[in-house]
Amino acid sequence: MADISWQKPKHQEKPKRTERLKFLTAGLLILAAVLYLLISGTMQGARYFITVEELLQDHAYHGQTLRISGAVDGDTIDYDSENAVIQFEIVNIPSAYDDLATALREALRDERASRLKVTVEDAAMPDLLQHEAQAILTGALSADGVFQATELLLKCPSRFEESTGPEGLSKIPEHQ
Amino acid sequence: MLAEAGLASLTIAFLLALYASLASLVGARSHSYALQRSGRNAALLTFPALLLSTGLLVTALLTEQYQISYVYEVTDPRTPALYRLTALWGSQRGSLLFWSLLMSVFTFAAIWRSWRSERRLMPYAIAAMMATLAFFLGLSLLIENPFARWWLLPDAPPGQQELSSPLIPAGAVAPSQAALRAGAQGLNPLLRHFGMIIHPPMLYLGFVGFTIPFAFALAALASGELSTGWIKATRRWSLIAWIFLSLGLILGGRWAYDVLGWGGYWGWDPVENAAFLPWLMGTAFIHSVMIQEKRGMLKLWNMLLVIATFSAVMFGTFATRSGVIESVHSFARSEVGFPMLAFWAAVTLVALTTLFRRWRRGELTDERQFANLLSRESLFVLNNVVFIALFIAIFWGSFGLPIISELFFGVEVTIGAETFEFFVVPLFIAMYILMGIAPLSAWGATSLPRLGGALKLPLALTGLSILTLWSSGTSLLVALLGYGVVLFAGFVALYEIYRGALARRRSLNESWLPATLALFRRNQRRYGGYIVHLGVTVIGIGVIASSVFQTEVQHTLARGEMIAVRDYALRYDDFIRAQAVDGRMMNIAPVTLFRNGAEIAQLRPRIDDYEQMPMTIAGAHSTLENDFYVLLIGGDYERATFRIYINPLVNLVWWGGLLLILGTAVAVYPKALPTGQWRKRERARQ
Repeated sequence: MADISWQKPKHQEKPKRTERLKFLTAGLLILAAVLYLLISGTMQGARYFITVEELLQDHAYHGQTLRISGAVDGDTIDYDSENAVIQFEIVNIPSAYDDLATALREALRDERASRLKVTVEDAAMPDLLQHEAQAILTGALSADGVFQATELLLKCPSRFEESTGPEGLSKIPEHQ
Repeated sequence: MLAEAGLASLTIAFLLALYASLASLVGARSHSYALQRSGRNAALLTFPALLLSTGLLVTALLTEQYQISYVYEVTDPRTPALYRLTALWGSQRGSLLFWSLLMSVFTFAAIWRSWRSERRLMPYAIAAMMATLAFFLGLSLLIENPFARWWLLPDAPPGQQELSSPLIPAGAVAPSQAALRAGAQGLNPLLRHFGMIIHPPMLYLGFVGFTIPFAFALAALASGELSTGWIKATRRWSLIAWIFLSLGLILGGRWAYDVLGWGGYWGWDPVENAAFLPWLMGTAFIHSVMIQEKRGMLKLWNMLLVIATFSAVMFGTFATRSGVIESVHSFARSEVGFPMLAFWAAVTLVALTTLFRRWRRGELTDERQFANLLSRESLFVLNNVVFIALFIAIFWGSFGLPIISELFFGVEVTIGAETFEFFVVPLFIAMYILMGIAPLSAWGATSLPRLGGALKLPLALTGLSILTLWSSGTSLLVALLGYGVVLFAGFVALYEIYRGALARRRSLNESWLPATLALFRRNQRRYGGYIVHLGVTVIGIGVIASSVFQTEVQHTLARGEMIAVRDYALRYDDFIRAQAVDGRMMNIAPVTLFRNGAEIAQLRPRIDDYEQMPMTIAGAHSTLENDFYVLLIGGDYERATFRIYINPLVNLVWWGGLLLILGTAVAVYPKALPTGQWRKRERARQ
């Protein structure tokens, strides 16, 4: 049996000129509003993300709100639980590295690397704040040379994230 | 033996996917049905091959095969059986394999459903799905092999004697079981949570699910079959993917709330945002696709949206897995970054080029044009614009600005959570307003007085609610306006359901319940959509209340001492040190919670010590009204420090999420057809 199909003829509803103008105006207004939102938000909220060394070397950064990244020295961590204030020191890590765990370890071994005291007020003690963690801090360097942070983000690659060859496996080979 | 079998089945799956992709493509181009069928069969076989491969990895995890370095990394002898199972997605290599398994399941189901009904599209769609699968399996085989094993090279210089490799290196010996057991690392404690057990699979299901509409869209472009066939074949897939992606995001939020211990659920972290971006694009797509179905419009736009959604999925996968983005959530830095970026760029480019060719030939011309600014289709487009604007703002803040500033100015510039909020709050307000107005306008054209008439009741209810809130003590203007906008969208959804049921009552003389149920049965997508809107309203109320009215205090208490926070009081009772069965030491500080003088709960905030890593577990008293959330910061038998959060209405975020899932499920649920109609449909398919 032959297939018979019938298709309804397509009809184009032509919009009126005034309607087209309305669409164009609405579109441009929305575009302008979104652009304004993005530009003004970026101008107000943008912060440089720099290393400890860059912060200490360039005075233009002092007093500005910015983000810095450094390796946490575990021996310097001090938490005042009564006042909820965390203090510790971070050590410069270069902006480019291959492996974060190695970069953190080497930074903390380097005695000549720049160090910076950090204070975080009104904060709970984060679980990940420990030796060889990477701290990413938002705040400003105050006149006394201490970085007053308002936000603290931590990455701790040493134990659970990057598995290196387990030391000690080579002691007792089992079979050929 | 397990590792060898796993590796073999993984390799077979890779070869099958590669063959299926090529055979389907060549078969479609040369009109060879035999080749197309062969490609289809190979694609179907990837599922059992990957099921075997994944099953073998799970067996290795459960039976403690620590020589397999993945098992060594994510479990240890003290890991409970449940976490051994979920360790499958606990780290990069296992989760990549799991991702591939899900991809093969979706492909299998798509072929099963649409092979007969979409004969022209299927070979191309299979080629696209299998190319994606082959790419991910290639990553698993060559870069992140889940079956790699530890080997010792006694003759190698010190420091290079241990090696993880899928094949046996020359002169290598296996390490001792004792040494392997002793060194095994165990699952990251942050991942030992209910939300984390389900969150990654849900997110992967969402990500993988959006591959199907994309593959069909690409098939439509490649075959020239550009009618609404590809949309009809994939509309259910899009909704299913959207359910999973939504569930993944909600569970991720719940995990952050319970585990990360900062009293919040969304931090505008780049990796969170990377998962949110495909959701925004996907939401725009599931709305605008309705206009193509109903009005034959937006053909080019829908193609662009589905390509953009898949592109966002690929970018999100890259952002999460490459480790190049600074985030608390990302996997470790991995070699998969560059290939993933290259694949993302290649897929996007190929799709856009094919689309451009069809568009230039005039094959994507709409059947109608927009005639009225207030018509439902215009408002749907406006809603799309809002979603795209949200996408652009979040992408710009998370990736665009940092990358561009680094490339062109040599210094990375970032923005914080408050700037993200500055971007998204006005856009979300616009979204809620449109969610309220669009359902009340008509297809084609609506006049302002008619739309205004329909808006009267929802607006009156909104005004009444704001007045009630104000008179009951909520005086903050921002909160009142926020509640108003969100409630308006919810009232419209309820009003639409009411109007539909009322019309049935009048014309068919049905009572309320049967009329409402029939309404949902007859137009599942529309009324399921209203339940989704109600869910989004409930989430909105939860977000406003918990962010604007959150209370946060920290206090040190002597044992037996009490502290009052709003109408609650907390008493520090005891300090217990105990060891759990899995070996972790627990510092528990039992506290008693009072409200208006009456004891309401005993909470046990604690700090678990996983050898090198402590983990703070909150004690929470949850009611629909608010969460009393207490963290133990530190202390001893005499004194302990607590951080207390009161998060009003925060549970509405989760309940709203459930409502959203329920609504989508209603929209997706297969329509019950009378037996005769089923037979007719089956005959048509054959």
